[in-house]
Amino acid sequence: MRPDAVIEPLSTSTVSVRIASIALLGSLLLWRSVATCADWGLDATTGLTRNDNLTNAFESRDLKADTAVTATVAGGVHQQLSTSTGLGVNLVAEGTQYSRYEGLDNLGAGARAQLRTKFGLGPEAPWAAFTARALHRDYRDDLRDGWDYNAGISVGKQLSDRWSVRGSLGYDAFVADRASARGVPGLSTAAYDIDGWTLGAQAAFRLTEADLLSGALSWRDGSVTAVTHPDLEVLEYSDAAVIDGTFSDSNRMIAYRTAAATRTASLTWSHALGRSTSVNLNYTYRSSRTDHGSGTYVSNIVSVVLGYSY
Amino acid sequence: MRSIPGMPIVFTMLLATAAAAPAATLVAKVVGKDGKAIQNVVVVVVPEAGIPNRAGPPPIELVDQVDKEFTPYVKPIRVGSLVAFPNKDNVQHHVYSFSPAKAFELPLYKGTPAQPLLFDKPGVVRLGCNIHDWMIGYIYVSETPWFGKTDQAGLARIDKLPVGRNHVRVWHPWMIGPEEATVRIVDLAEAQPVALQWQIALEPEFGSRRAPMPGDAGYR
Repeated sequence: MRPDAVIEPLSTSTVSVRIASIALLGSLLLWRSVATCADWGLDATTGLTRNDNLTNAFESRDLKADTAVTATVAGGVHQQLSTSTGLGVNLVAEGTQYSRYEGLDNLGAGARAQLRTKFGLGPEAPWAAFTARALHRDYRDDLRDGWDYNAGISVGKQLSDRWSVRGSLGYDAFVADRASARGVPGLSTAAYDIDGWTLGAQAAFRLTEADLLSGALSWRDGSVTAVTHPDLEVLEYSDAAVIDGTFSDSNRMIAYRTAAATRTASLTWSHALGRSTSVNLNYTYRSSRTDHGSGTYVSNIVSVVLGYSY
Repeated sequence: MRSIPGMPIVFTMLLATAAAAPAATLVAKVVGKDGKAIQNVVVVVVPEAGIPNRAGPPPIELVDQVDKEFTPYVKPIRVGSLVAFPNKDNVQHHVYSFSPAKAFELPLYKGTPAQPLLFDKPGVVRLGCNIHDWMIGYIYVSETPWFGKTDQAGLARIDKLPVGRNHVRVWHPWMIGPEEATVRIVDLAEAQPVALQWQIALEPEFGSRRAPMPGDAGYR
């Protein structure tokens, strides 16, 4: 070292970058050591989805419906840690483009991990899985940009050749990158920051060799974001509100956050087009009742998705 | 022997070829209720005169794992044979069977396990992989050395059969009804090939589906 050299303290961002680099390098070395017998895979979907209540509105004047093109890609590796337990790590990318409400168009990128264990041999052995996912969503409406987190446990069992059931408990949170400067006096502007707990149950039945019909029910307790025309009554039971840039046209609209219990029922028909591809038709009914009893948001969502797995 | 109306040209050619064989020959054809050929049907011939003891060391048969599937899907072998399970994928498999004819487990492995397994009881052995639940395969352990398996045309030709009275039966993993209900008694003569046809009903095997279902991360 030269005698006149000056040692300067590292900035916080530099330290973060170094820690991240070391973590990445360590992960790569770890995976390289097991990659010789790891199971690399790629899953992709593309489809169309129609939601008749994007705004989570309960008054007809606030209802906004639209159709979106969706695409997801997840690629990663599965490593069997023991005869019963496997770990999967995937990088995930998602994209959604709406035909009308462009502010909802978004690209997501992140990672997903799953630790899954079977309690015994064979397809009918019960299993349990812990899954965690973090995805950063970049919206065309910048105020909506943020991190989408999911984590949960699920358990399942194939009851017979045709019937299988599963249950799940999960936590989800969306944390926006920044808050708007244009809010409602006296309220937080973090209207897009929501979280909640979801309890779910699903049953699936094999109709034919290629066809699978599944039904699912879920109950979510947490906060939701809804969009409405300016309404003082609504603001009374919300704890955050912001001027919404996506649905505001000639009339300004407000996005607000409120606590609600959400019930969801869905039915999916999945038809295998081969060993790696399937076409899937889904209908979801979603109903959110605000904790204050001020209203119930109802959404009907229909989607058709082509799925591929390698 | 039953005559087969509308016998396909290939079937007739197989019979013509068989005429030159020094021992008895059987050509079996298996179709479904819709008349379409059925592949992977095991055809077993049991002579009334009895089954000779095996001479020499038992052969080593192979059931591979390729692209996360068992290959072949149905493997007929003679009782007393050894079977090796080479894993030709780059991932680990965990092969097992609960079947009374041969219950076993080959925990996580790549490559070929050191020792092949002895299949010393006649019967059907259903194979599975505990990692990839959709992987299913079958080993049919025959009590006789005279057996065959139908090809895509639904045909199986078995040569060098003992002349005399024989019991012939068929089996398929998805077959409705017992294997014994398919038994035919046939008199085989040298240089006199015999053609037999079965029409069997199948019910699909469900198990775990390999094709993806969006939102379901599956085993990984």
